[in-house]
Amino acid sequence: MSQRNPVGEKGKADNAVEVTNLFKVFGNIKAVQELSFTVKKGETYGLIGPNAAGKTTTLRILATLVKPSAGSAKVFGFDVDKRASEVRKIVSYLPEEAGAYRNLSGREYLQFMADFYAVEEETSKALVNEAVRISGLGDRLRDKVKTYSKGMGRRLLIARALMMKPKLAILDEPTSGLDVVHAYYVRRIICEYVKDHGVTVLLSSHNMLEVEFLCNRLALIDEGRLLGEGTPFELKSRYNASNLEEAFMEATKIG
Amino acid sequence: MVKEIKEMLRDPKILIGMLLMPLIIFPLLGAAMNVSTTAIQQSLKEASMALMDLDGGPMAQSLIVSFRALNVTLLRIYASTVDEALQKTEESNVSALLVIPAGFSQNLTSGLRAELLVYSLFKTMSLSEEAKSSFFGTPIAFYENLLVLNALREAFPNRSPEVVLDPISPRNFVVFRRRAVEVPLAALRGLFMTQSYGFTVVIMMLIISAMQIAATSIAIEKEEKTLETLLTLPVGRLTILTGKLAGSVVVAAAGAAAAMVGVDYYTGSLFSLVPTQGVDLEALGLALSPTASVLLGVTMFVTIVSALALAICVAVFSENVRSAQSIITFLITPVIMPSLILMFADIEILPVPVQVIMYAIPYTHAVLASKAAFIADYFIMLRSIAYISLFTVVILYVAARIFATEKIITARISFGRLSISKRRLPS
Repeated sequence: MSQRNPVGEKGKADNAVEVTNLFKVFGNIKAVQELSFTVKKGETYGLIGPNAAGKTTTLRILATLVKPSAGSAKVFGFDVDKRASEVRKIVSYLPEEAGAYRNLSGREYLQFMADFYAVEEETSKALVNEAVRISGLGDRLRDKVKTYSKGMGRRLLIARALMMKPKLAILDEPTSGLDVVHAYYVRRIICEYVKDHGVTVLLSSHNMLEVEFLCNRLALIDEGRLLGEGTPFELKSRYNASNLEEAFMEATKIG
Repeated sequence: MVKEIKEMLRDPKILIGMLLMPLIIFPLLGAAMNVSTTAIQQSLKEASMALMDLDGGPMAQSLIVSFRALNVTLLRIYASTVDEALQKTEESNVSALLVIPAGFSQNLTSGLRAELLVYSLFKTMSLSEEAKSSFFGTPIAFYENLLVLNALREAFPNRSPEVVLDPISPRNFVVFRRRAVEVPLAALRGLFMTQSYGFTVVIMMLIISAMQIAATSIAIEKEEKTLETLLTLPVGRLTILTGKLAGSVVVAAAGAAAAMVGVDYYTGSLFSLVPTQGVDLEALGLALSPTASVLLGVTMFVTIVSALALAICVAVFSENVRSAQSIITFLITPVIMPSLILMFADIEILPVPVQVIMYAIPYTHAVLASKAAFIADYFIMLRSIAYISLFTVVILYVAARIFATEKIITARISFGRLSISKRRLPS
């Protein structure tokens, strides 16, 4: 995998994400329990697990949308709860199955989003141009978002999430529901951004192939708890599995 | 904010519901009323009657002369029976037949009551047909009056027959704020109807549409999950809230303007039937002063903002557009109740507990202010503005608090149990 950035053991200051003993409780439901993991700068880190494993909740906590019930989560040293506005300046979050404003054109949507990050018109223009390039949607950007297919919509949103070259991109199921062509395109863009712009990516996925292709390291999560963490190779050898799917099944048994 | 306006105006539901509907529906309603009333008036102008004179005497002749003097076209019908005459009437496309029976002149001259037969030919059973047939009562009454006046003139040669007939002339004065103004009562009724219905309807529509817009705009964001993205952007939550509010205010204001124009046209045509001439609004102190206009504008503005903030607060708990709209429907009832009640009654005449509840609802004050505007009671207007503003500030504070917490993402109302519960656990 030439796209990967090999990340060696470095000091704590280099961590893009530090989650320590994180808990999140909704009423009686414990969505996240005792979760700890770190994502290093420039790494692509994957959270994998079944539905309701706590992946989305974890990503939402890191994106400052929901607050931790206990424990801490830091992004580039900023606590997501206490310094949320600092965190928002450096992260970009792509929710699962998110949409864009249906009655705006693709380009208007990108412009609207770019204006949140750029004070000057020139910078904003540059951001939009970059987004136009990475979306690969060409003239279709003039059409209203409601006319887009699911794959086109996702490409628009990926372009939105990456155009400002965030220090940390939090991508929830970036390719779920996409056909091979669109999914391949989206994965390629993610790789490009990690490699060329040093963006750190934290993503969640059900797709083990995708995870193996994209991620330097990953965390197996179930019922809000961490089952195991490591490179895809390490996890496969730890659970004596031929692929990540088997490794995950083994891990849930043991967990 | 510009995006809010763009997004909303491009949403056909909002565009049609907010702007086009009031702009089109109300003038259409008004136009429909105008068309039908003008049609009736037109048909009356062209009133013609078939006449079958079986009397042939001098009184029948004078009746015919008086009808002609009133511009009623008479079509002479010669037939042996009334049935035949009716058939001829129908064939000649005239809607009424007047039969002067034999002995008409003799009865009248010998001091007996005479009969006149009016046959109205109804093509359909409608109000306009009824209006046509009752119209022919007027020339008959006119002629009758003529006979009465003649008789009086003969009986009291030294006195004016009009005075004999109607010796007392009452004059109506309306004393309002210690100023007495002579006003025909019917005219006053028309004026009050315009005021209490026209403005109240506008206020109600304004509140309802503003709430629906704001709730929909939040619910769409939740449904499309654009809100999640928006809340992770490097921009203050208060800025997002203000943007939503500002966008909705602009669209709602445009809607209000559309409604105003529409309602004005509508009430204009509705109340054109009620005589309002002869009422000196200035003399009564009922004209809208510039200060009152400005205060009324301010009242409208704070009312819209408060309704918007309220709708946003509530819409936060909805999962999608449909549930947001159901919640708003629930909310609309208490909001428009004061307007409905105040349309028919003044707040002072209500039982005290109802008054207390009414005064607690901020939208009561919007209606009170609109009524106060016409009597230049600035104290009531300022009090209304203050109360609505206070309420708005509280609601805005609550809205801002909700926006600042994770509730905006996780909370929702479960209609099944009618309780506020947490959202289904995300994966």
